[in-house]
Amino acid sequence: QNLSFQLNYPHESSASFSPNMAEHHTVSECKHKANPNAGGSLSGNGLSGGLTQPAGWQSLLSFTILFLAWLAGFSSRLFAVIRFESIIHEFDPWFNYRSTHHLSTNGFYEFLNWFDERAWYPLGRIVGGTVYPGLMVTAGLIHYLLNLLHVTVHIRDVCVFLAPVFSGLTAISTFLLTRELWNQSAGLLAACFIAIVPGYISRSVAGSFDNEGIAIFALQFTYYLWVKSVKTGSVFWTIGCCLSYFYMVSAWGGYVFIINLIPLHVFVLLLMQRYSRRLYIAYSTFYIVGLVLSMQIPFVGFQPIRTSEHMAAAGVFALLQAYAFLQYLKDRLTKQEFQTLFFLGVSLAAGVVFLTVIYLTYTELGCLYLYSVYAKIHIPIIASVSEHQPTTWVSFFFDLHILVCTFPAGLWFCIKNVNDERVFVALYAISAVYFAGVMVRLMLTLTPVVCMLSAIAFSSVFEHYLGDDTKRENPPAEDSSDEDDKRNSGNLYDKAGKVRKHVSEQDKPEEGLGPNIKSIVTMLMLMLLMMFAVHCTWVTSNAYSSPSVVLASYNHDGSRNILDDFREAYYWLRQNTDEHARVMSWWDYGYQIAGMANRTTLVDNNTWNNSHIALVGKAMSSNESAAYEIMKSLDVDYVLIIFGGVIGYSGDDINKFLWMVRIAEGEHPKDIRESDYFTPQGEFRVDKAGSPTLLNCLMYKMSYYRFGEMQLDFRTPPGFDRTRNAEIGNKDIRLKHLEEAFTSEHWLVRIYRVKKQENRQPLEHKLRSVLAKQKYTSKKKGKKLNKKSV
Amino acid sequence: FQLHFECLFFVFFKFRADGLVNEEVRRTLDLSTHLAKVSAEVLVANHGASAVQSFTLALESDLAPHLAYIGASVKGDEEEDNSLALKETSIQGRSGTFFQVQLPSALAVGEKLRVKVETVFTHVLHPFPSHITQAEKQLVVFQGNHYLYSPYPTRSQTTRVRLASKTVESYTKLGNPSKNDEVIEYGPFKDVPAFSQDAMKIHYENNSPFLTISSITRTIEVSHWGNIAVEETIDLRHTGAVLKGPFSRYDYQRQADSGISSVKSFKTILPASAQDVYYRDEIGNISTSHLQVLEDSVEVEVRPRFPLFGGWKTHYIIGYNLPSYEYLYTLGDQYALKMRLVDHVYDDQVIDQLTVKLILPEGARNVHLETPYPIVRGPDQLHYTYLDTFGRPVLVATKKNLVEHHIQDMVVHYTFNKILMMQEPLLVVGAFYILFFTVIVYVRLDFSITKDPAAEVRMKVASITEQVLTLVNKRLGLYRHMDDAVNRYKQSRDSGTLNSARKTLEAEHRALTNDITALQARLKAEGSDLAEKVGEVQKLDGQVKDLVCQSCQESERLVAGKVKKETYITSEKTLAGKRQELIARIDGLLDAL
Repeated sequence: QNLSFQLNYPHESSASFSPNMAEHHTVSECKHKANPNAGGSLSGNGLSGGLTQPAGWQSLLSFTILFLAWLAGFSSRLFAVIRFESIIHEFDPWFNYRSTHHLSTNGFYEFLNWFDERAWYPLGRIVGGTVYPGLMVTAGLIHYLLNLLHVTVHIRDVCVFLAPVFSGLTAISTFLLTRELWNQSAGLLAACFIAIVPGYISRSVAGSFDNEGIAIFALQFTYYLWVKSVKTGSVFWTIGCCLSYFYMVSAWGGYVFIINLIPLHVFVLLLMQRYSRRLYIAYSTFYIVGLVLSMQIPFVGFQPIRTSEHMAAAGVFALLQAYAFLQYLKDRLTKQEFQTLFFLGVSLAAGVVFLTVIYLTYTELGCLYLYSVYAKIHIPIIASVSEHQPTTWVSFFFDLHILVCTFPAGLWFCIKNVNDERVFVALYAISAVYFAGVMVRLMLTLTPVVCMLSAIAFSSVFEHYLGDDTKRENPPAEDSSDEDDKRNSGNLYDKAGKVRKHVSEQDKPEEGLGPNIKSIVTMLMLMLLMMFAVHCTWVTSNAYSSPSVVLASYNHDGSRNILDDFREAYYWLRQNTDEHARVMSWWDYGYQIAGMANRTTLVDNNTWNNSHIALVGKAMSSNESAAYEIMKSLDVDYVLIIFGGVIGYSGDDINKFLWMVRIAEGEHPKDIRESDYFTPQGEFRVDKAGSPTLLNCLMYKMSYYRFGEMQLDFRTPPGFDRTRNAEIGNKDIRLKHLEEAFTSEHWLVRIYRVKKQENRQPLEHKLRSVLAKQKYTSKKKGKKLNKKSV
Repeated sequence: FQLHFECLFFVFFKFRADGLVNEEVRRTLDLSTHLAKVSAEVLVANHGASAVQSFTLALESDLAPHLAYIGASVKGDEEEDNSLALKETSIQGRSGTFFQVQLPSALAVGEKLRVKVETVFTHVLHPFPSHITQAEKQLVVFQGNHYLYSPYPTRSQTTRVRLASKTVESYTKLGNPSKNDEVIEYGPFKDVPAFSQDAMKIHYENNSPFLTISSITRTIEVSHWGNIAVEETIDLRHTGAVLKGPFSRYDYQRQADSGISSVKSFKTILPASAQDVYYRDEIGNISTSHLQVLEDSVEVEVRPRFPLFGGWKTHYIIGYNLPSYEYLYTLGDQYALKMRLVDHVYDDQVIDQLTVKLILPEGARNVHLETPYPIVRGPDQLHYTYLDTFGRPVLVATKKNLVEHHIQDMVVHYTFNKILMMQEPLLVVGAFYILFFTVIVYVRLDFSITKDPAAEVRMKVASITEQVLTLVNKRLGLYRHMDDAVNRYKQSRDSGTLNSARKTLEAEHRALTNDITALQARLKAEGSDLAEKVGEVQKLDGQVKDLVCQSCQESERLVAGKVKKETYITSEKTLAGKRQELIARIDGLLDAL
C-alpha cells in the first residue's frame, strides 16, 4: 500500500485520467518485482531519481524502450544491406548521393554554386539552387564530423545508413509529441509503432538516401516543438520550433504541409474560442522567424511571400493580430455595443479574407487532388510517375496494417477530451488522411499521425484492461478539459488538489469488468500487436528492401542469382566511353547514369523541363532516321535502354513506352500520335499484329535488335519476349545510324552508339550569326531546332 | 669520324681482350602470352689470357625500354641455380643496354661456364591489325633479333620461338627455319660475330589475354592488434587489338569463338590465410566473383563486371585481411614485417605502374625498408584512421614495369614502443569517462538561470509528506503494541506492566504527535494544502487514541471484575469496529497524500 501511494506524485505533465494510471501501474509493478524494498524519498524529478525511486525506474524504462525502438527500427531497415550490400537504392537517392559526394569533396560553398553540366545536356542544371540541401548537408556534416574524429567512413556508408539512424530520431520525436498530446505510455507505444511501420520504412530503408528519410523526423520534431510552444507560450520553444522548421524547409518540399497545418490549427483554435496569449506569442514568433528562416534556402527563396500555398499562413497571422488587437480593445473599452459591432465586423472581414486565401491555396496547390486530376489529363509526365497514383485501399492496410483500424479510435479519444494540442493532432490526422488518399507518396505524412493516434487508442485500452484492480482505488487523475488553465500556473504540481475534487468519481470506471474479460481483451490486443509486428517485418523484408539496382532471382533449390546488369552497363559506360560522352535514355535512368556511369545525360529524374523530355520521347518513338536527326541535334553519343524481355523484367522501357509516346505527343502532336502505336483494336502489342509504327520505331528496334535470333528455351519460338509473353513481330531489325555498343549479360541494359556521319570535306568554321542564334533559341520544336543549327 | 672509329675499335678490342666467347647458345623466345620471355642458355668460354671476374650481357636498343626483368644464373650440376648479381653498365659507342654480371668465382683461362639468362619484355607484341571486330582473331607482330645480342662472338647458336597458336601469317626465314605446330626453330647459326643483329619478324595469331595493369596501388595496413589489411586498387586494360564496330552480346553468348581474345575472367591467388576478401569498385560490390579456399592459397576468380575487349578498361578494388603473426616478427621493441612487395593478380601479369603504401602502426619509428630490387621511394606520409591522434607513418614506394618475377618479399624494420598499444583503449575509456561524467554533472547540477520555486516547494512537500507517513505508521504501530500489552495483561493480570506500557505509549505517542504537528506546520508554511489533510489525520488519530485508552480501561475493569465478560466483549467489539473505521479513514487520507 505504501508503495502504491507514493506513486501518486507523478512527474507527468499530462492529464487525462486513465493513461496516467496505466503508466503508474506498470511502473509500480515492475518496481514490485525488481525492488520490493524500494522506499526512500520521493522526488518529482525523473532524471535525478536513482533506481531506488520509481521515477528513476520510469525514466530508465522509457530510455530503454526508446533505445530498443531505435535499435529495432534501425535493424529492420537493414534487410537490403544484409541481403545485398551497402548500396544506394533506386533513382533519386543516386542524385542525392552524387551531390553529397560533391559536397563532401568540394565543400559547402562549391556545392551551393554547383552548376552541373552533366545533366540536361545542353542546358545543365544549377544544382545548388534547385535542391533542398538539408539531406546533403546533414550527411556531409556527419561525414565531416566523423572524419574530424578520424573515423574513416566512406561518404557512401554515411548516406546509406542515414535514413535508418534518422528513423530512431523520428521515433524519439514521435514519442515526445505523443507525450505532449496524451501521456508517456502512449508516447512509448507511438515510438515503437513508428519505428517499424512499413509506411515509413518504405522511404527510409538503408540505402534509400532520400529527403523523406530525414524530413519525417524534422516534421515530427517541428510539430512537437509547436505543440510545446502553444502549451507554454514560451518564445524559447517557439524559436526551437522555427529552427526545426528551418531544417524541415531545407530538407523537403513537404514543409508546405507544416506551413499550412500550423495556421490551420491557429485558425481553428480561434474559431473554437480558444484564443490565448500563449497562442498569440507562439504563432507570431513562429510566423515571423519561420518565414525569415525559410527564405534562406536558395531553392525556396521568395516563395513564402509570393506563392499562394504560403498565403494561408500570412492570412492567419493577420487575423491573429486583429484578434489580439480586439482582445486588447475589449479590455480597454467599455462601450459594449460598439465593441461587439466592431468585433463582429472585423472578424467577419478577416474571416472572409482568410477563407478566400485558404480556398485559393487549397484549390491551386494544397489541394493536390485537383492538381493531380489536372495533371493526369494535361501533364502526362506527372501522371507517369508511379508514386503519384492515387492510393488504393489495399495499400493503406499494407502500409499501416492494424493501425489504420485503430487510429480513428485514437482520434475519437482526442476529440472527446479535446484541448489545444489535441485540436492540432485532429487536424493533422484529417488533412493527412486526405492527402494520403490522393497520392501514394503522401502515405508518408499520414504514417506518423496514424502511429500516434493508434498508440493513444492502444494505450487507453490497455490501461483500462491491463490495470490492476486494487491499484485502481488510487485516485486517478484530472479532467483534461480544465487542464488548460492549470498549465499556466504550476502545471502538474497541484495534482493533489485536483485529486480531491474527483475522489467521488474514482470507482466509476469499468466497475463491471471481470478478470476474464480483461484478460481476453488484453490477449486480443497483444495478439493484434504481435501480428502487426510480424506484418511489418514481412512487408519490410519483401516489399521495401530491394535496392532495385541489383536484382535477385531464386533458383529451385533456393540459391540466389544476382542479376547485376544495371551496374554492369553503367560501369561499362563509366570506363569505356569518352568522359564527355552524352547518353540519351529515358528520364528514369538519368540520375543513375550520372551517379554510376558519371556521364552526361539529356534528361533525368528532376523532370523540370517537359519539352526536353518530350524531345527524347519523340526520338524514342520515331523511326530511326527521324530519331537520328533529333539525336544529332542533341549531340547524342550513346543511347541506353532497358529491355526486360530476356529475363521477364516488367519495368522495362517497352512497358513504359506509351508514356514516352504520350509525353512526346503533348509537345509534338503533329509528329507523334498515340493512336498510331495501337492496333486497330486499340491494343498495344509487340507481336506481328502490332501497329507498324510501333514495330519500326527506334525504341522497338533497339529493344529487339538481334533478339529475333535468340531462342530462350525449347518451348518457345525464337524472339519470344518473356515480359510480354509474345513472339516479337519484327525479327529482322537492321540499324543504320546506330550500332550496338554494349549489352549486359541478361540483356537488361542495351547501349547503342550513334554513328558519326560519314566523313566529308571539313568546312571552314564559321561564326554563328547572332540573328540565327536568336531564332534558334526562340524555337521550341525539336525538329526546327536542328535545321537552325547550321 | 676517325676518332669515333678509334673508340669503337678500342672498345671492341677491349672485349676481345676479355677473350670470352659464347661457345654455344640456346635461345628460347616464348611468345605464347602477351609477354616476350626470352631466355638463353649460354656456354661462356674464356679464351683470353687471364681469368675474368665478370661478363657482360647486352640488350638490343629496340627491346631494352620494354625490359621488365632480367636475371642470370649459373647452371650448376645440381638442380638449383645460383643467381648472379647484375649491374647496369654502358659500353661506349654501342647502342643498347648492358649489364655486368658478377661471376661467383673467377673464370680461369680455358674454362667454360653455363649461364642462363632470363629476360621478360612487356608490350613488345603489337597487335596487327590494331583494330579488329568481335568475330576476328587477334594477330600480333613480334620484332626481334635472330641472334643473341652479345658483346662476344658466338660459335654456335639456335633460336627456338614458341608461339601461341599454329596460325602464323608470316615469319622471317633466315637460314630456312623449321616450323612445327606452335614452334619455329632457327639455326643453328655458326660463328656469329659480336653485336650482330638481324631483324626477326613474326606475325601470328595470339588470342591470349592481353591484360595490362595500368596502375595498381597496394596498401598494406599493419595493426599490432593482430591484423594486416591489404587492399589493391587496380586499373586494368586490355592492350590487345582494339574492338572495332559493335559488341554483340548475342554473338558473344551463342558463338564460342566470338570475341576470342576478350577476357572474361582471371584468377587471382591470394595468401592462404587471407580472410574477408572483398572485390568491389566505386559503385559497389562486384557480384560476379567466386572464392575458392585451397590448401596453400585462396583463389579468387575475378570476373570484371563486363568482358574486357581490346581497348576496354576497368577498375576495381580487392582487399583482404591477414593474420599478422605470419608476417610480423618481433624482438623486444624491434619489429620486422616481411611481405610481398607486389602480389599475384593474374598469370603472366604486367604492371605498368606500382605504388605500394605501407601503413605502419601509430608510433612506429626508425623505419627502414629493404626491397629485393630497386624501387623509388616517395616522401613519407601520415595516415589517420580510427582512434589516431598523431597519425600513422606511411611509406610510399613506386615502380614501373613489373612482371610475375617481381613477386618477391620485402622487409620493413621499425621500432615500436609497446606502451603505445595502450593508447587506443585508454582513449576509448577516457572518452566514455568524459561522457558519463558530463551526464552526471548535467543531471546533478542545476543550470537554470531562474529558480523554479514551485519545483522546490514540491520537493520539500514531498519529503515532509514522506516523514509524516513514516511517523503516522509508527504511531499506528504503537497502538498495536498497546493491544498486545492489554492482551498480555488480561492473561497475566499484572497491572504494573500495563501501566508502564501505557506510560510508554503516552510518551511516545506524544512525541510522535508533536513531530507530526511540527511537520504539519512546516507543510502549512510551504503553502501546501496537504497540511489540512495531515490535520485531519491528527484529529482522527486523537479519536483512535481515545479508543485505545478506552479499551485499556475496559480491560482493567474486566480484570478487576467490574464488568462481566459478555459486556466487555460487546464493548470491545464496538470499540474495535470504531477503531477499524477510523484507521481505514486514516489510511484513505494517507493514500491521498
